Amino acid sequence: MNPDVRRPRRGRGPSGPVGFVIDSVVMGWRWLVRMRTALILLAMLGLLTLIATVVPQEPNVPGTVEVWRSGDEGPGVLVSRGIDAIGGYDVYGSALFLALLLLLYLSLTACLIPRIRAWVRLVRHSRPPLTRAADRQQVVASFSTDLGPDEVHATARGLLTDTRWRVRDPDPAPDLEPAPGLEPAPGLEPAPDLEPAPGLDPAPDLEPAPDLEPAPDPDRSRAMSSGPPPQVAAEKGLWSREGGSLLFHLSFYVLLAAIVFGQLLGFDGQRAVVEGESFADTPVSYWTYGPGRWWTDDDHRGWVLHLDSFEVDWVRDPLAPGAGQPTTFVSDVTVTTADGEVRETTVEGNRPLTVDGLKIHQLDWGYAPFVEVWVDGELEHANFLTAQAADGGMFRAAVKVPSADPDVGLEVFFFPYAPDSDDGPVFTGVPWADDPLLLFRQYRGDLQIGRTQQTINELDTTELESVGGGLIRPGGEVVMDDGVVVRFVELRRWVGFQVSARPQIPWLLLASAMLLGGLHPALYAYRRRLWVVASRPEGDARTLVTVAGRAFQRPQAFEDEHRRVVDRLAAATGAATPAPSDDEVVPR
Amino acid sequence: MNEAALAELSRVLYSPVTLLLYAAAAFLYLYALTTKVGRREDGPARGRRAELAGLVVASLGIGAHLAHEVTRGLAQGRLPLGNMFEFTSMMALVGVVVGLGYLQFVRKRPELNGFVLMAGTLVLASALLVYSDPGPLMPILDTWWRTFHVTVIVIAAGIFTAGFVFNSLQLMRDLAEQRVADARSRTTVGSTVGAAYIGDLRAGSDAEAGTETDAAASAETDAVGERVAPDAADAPDGDPDAQTADDEAAYRRALRGALSPWRLALGTFLGTSTVSWVFLATPTLEFATGVQRFLIVNLAMVAVALIARWFVPMLPAAATLDGLAYRTIALGFFAWTFGVIAGAMWAEQSWGRFWGWDPKETASFLTWIAYAAYLHARATRGTRGRGAAWIGILSFAVLMFTYYAVNLVFVGLHSYAGL
Ligand code: HEM
Repeated sequence: MNPDVRRPRRGRGPSGPVGFVIDSVVMGWRWLVRMRTALILLAMLGLLTLIATVVPQEPNVPGTVEVWRSGDEGPGVLVSRGIDAIGGYDVYGSALFLALLLLLYLSLTACLIPRIRAWVRLVRHSRPPLTRAADRQQVVASFSTDLGPDEVHATARGLLTDTRWRVRDPDPAPDLEPAPGLEPAPGLEPAPDLEPAPGLDPAPDLEPAPDLEPAPDPDRSRAMSSGPPPQVAAEKGLWSREGGSLLFHLSFYVLLAAIVFGQLLGFDGQRAVVEGESFADTPVSYWTYGPGRWWTDDDHRGWVLHLDSFEVDWVRDPLAPGAGQPTTFVSDVTVTTADGEVRETTVEGNRPLTVDGLKIHQLDWGYAPFVEVWVDGELEHANFLTAQAADGGMFRAAVKVPSADPDVGLEVFFFPYAPDSDDGPVFTGVPWADDPLLLFRQYRGDLQIGRTQQTINELDTTELESVGGGLIRPGGEVVMDDGVVVRFVELRRWVGFQVSARPQIPWLLLASAMLLGGLHPALYAYRRRLWVVASRPEGDARTLVTVAGRAFQRPQAFEDEHRRVVDRLAAATGAATPAPSDDEVVPR
Repeated sequence: MNEAALAELSRVLYSPVTLLLYAAAAFLYLYALTTKVGRREDGPARGRRAELAGLVVASLGIGAHLAHEVTRGLAQGRLPLGNMFEFTSMMALVGVVVGLGYLQFVRKRPELNGFVLMAGTLVLASALLVYSDPGPLMPILDTWWRTFHVTVIVIAAGIFTAGFVFNSLQLMRDLAEQRVADARSRTTVGSTVGAAYIGDLRAGSDAEAGTETDAAASAETDAVGERVAPDAADAPDGDPDAQTADDEAAYRRALRGALSPWRLALGTFLGTSTVSWVFLATPTLEFATGVQRFLIVNLAMVAVALIARWFVPMLPAAATLDGLAYRTIALGFFAWTFGVIAGAMWAEQSWGRFWGWDPKETASFLTWIAYAAYLHARATRGTRGRGAAWIGILSFAVLMFTYYAVNLVFVGLHSYAGL
């Protein structure tokens, strides 16, 4: 199981640098085959995963990573540099992780190859061994019957075969008087030429007497005894446990292949759609576009999705349980497929829509105020904003007007429910739009579009100067000092859709099925052997039947099984059912 | 009955009813354990009576717990698996039912029920720290896949809790056996798990003692010559050489004395802190409340560890406990794997990606790796026994970390489960 990592035996093969390389490869391989190595690698994978759990990951929360890096939050700049040095902000994209994955798979392969070979040999060649001392096995029960020994053996053989035991073929006419010193007796031939493999024993053809003193020298015992008594030997669970374990480990290859396959052939795109508007499935219409390497423009079929309306509601009663929690999120959409078929349907959080092989998920939503910006009497901006939920029940957006001179930028804060009071508007923080209010701050200067990183809802204010701000209700407008007019024309909502193609899903399901299907027998199947020895001593009227067995795993489960076999055999041979007393069934 | 009344009823059924019943059953079983070693004439009879009473009280406790879950479900019109309180409560229920069922009916070792019930009481009480009233569920969470995923995961966590109990007992017993054996400077008696390797080293010896000799172990025993693995469930529980009752009592005292209470208390305190620090770091919790919870959890664990230490001499052999832990954790691992896969299916359905390495997913993967490492360690010679038990305990810490730290501190997509 854990062979020492020895230096390969020298003397054969090339020496010098070539020999050194060969030696190193052989030693590396031996290291990889060890179970201890797998354990160490698993521990390292665990360590990396722990880092990925406690450290924010760039692909998930880039914003948090940014503030950790800048030292504004988190453990400080110095620690942050250390994290960066080991790739801790993107563990699963780091070189360290890839190297570890490679080693794990190498180790997996190194340890599976011999296991599979041994398993195949075992399944093909194994033969249940005979026992010489049935009464000294792990579990033993006996009873007597009127049937003759041969009849008992035949009954046992049929019974065991019916319950899917692998029964040893009857030996050829037993050579009762083995010529001493010549060929070994049948059943005593040397164990087939199998090398022991991890988890498998070489299945010697004779179960040695389980005595407690050191086993006598096999040659001597062979000479002394006249061979094992006539018996039925059977075996079960021989290959399922190890086979399950192999299936389980093999599923990791399917998993890896599915993931790589998905990276190459998959596609992922996102797009926000305002109520009453549509979008077509073309590469340019996505806001974020993540095609796999082998994904081509031709894979877009050009279907069109029209968002008729979006319904959202909450538990509005502040005293009800779960107050403020959302209760509905539904997009009513009309889809025109590539073939021109028109369908009215809905997309919900948990009910994605499939159109022409692509899956459409409803990911998020927000308010879409229609805002006009007039600069020097010209309409420079007239569009829906896609304001995104931010802290405090507020929704944030930005307006960028690079065509004005100098550029005009607005930071927009949208409050769905901000009723007026004597002291001005009250910001309730409630998300339903019963009394919407748009608050903005205006800037002029250089928006730096395309030069700095900014999302559509963010303004880079470093090169901008604040001009002032204002509050607008729907339908209202504000005239700024510099003559810029801002109008809040109407309010709708927008929905963020994700469109994806995941051809790997069936393969992932296959991997899961292998994983679980293999794990179960790997943990629960157990190997066991059973012997039925019937004999009728000279001059005796009754046949003594001994049913002996041993389990390599799960002795408790085996005891029950043994008892059942004994009961059935006793019933089939017309013996009185042996009382399953502790005297007869001797667990040792 | 209206919903408010149902909610109130479910609360009462939980605490104090279930809590007290579990605690009482634990007490009865532990008392029964003490009678096993006494030399009083009527010891066995009293023990049997106490055990029976324990079974009745524990069954009542399970019944009350079930009734609590049902009434809570009715009060809120959904399955009671929506927030941390509900998860923890269900975890305790599963842990107690699986642990007791396994010990009572499969392994027929009811004397260990007390420890499972003690753990159940503790988990139940810890759920009160995160109690919340019944309420509805967010629509994104209201899907069949989620229900399925969460149910399986919680079942797995409950099973792992029972495994943790066995692992901890095994470790204490093993250390005690080993130290007593060392003190007597004997090589062959000692840790009954360790005996397996000592036996393997001496060709022809037959001291294979692993209860669940797995494929690897059997390969070794086979290599030694197809030796018989005696059923370790019946391994001698006491000193094999003890001749008289006085010897036995001395052996028991030696076992207990082998574990320093101070070191055990300190170790438990520090070990529990690897998880309970999250109460100090929870952003939604006042610091003073956090400190209070931190201390409550840590001190409760220390107290339980010290109680368990007192019972160390009455425990079955370490090898038996090892087998119990292995079987329990194997079952939990299967369920956990299934649950994680179901979670990926839910994520695919709800968010359009089956795996995104968000903190919750990453942490459940971490738990999976930890328990896979336990299973591997158990199949590896050098780490079998105590080494595996340590990994098992560490894995449980990882599970608790996944559960508490990620829910309360590192929030991701799954942040639904907060208080
Ligand atoms: C990549 C992650 C891996 C996982 C999650 C994993 C999981 C498991 C599990 C759960 C078992 C227990 C099955 C049983 O008890 O029969 C097992 C057994 C085993 N694993 Fe892995 N394994 C992994 C990788 C490896 C690697 C890389 C090796 C090669 C060194 C390896 C070698 C073995 C062996 C030899 C067994 C058999 C132990 C036995 O027969 O009980 N595993 N593995």
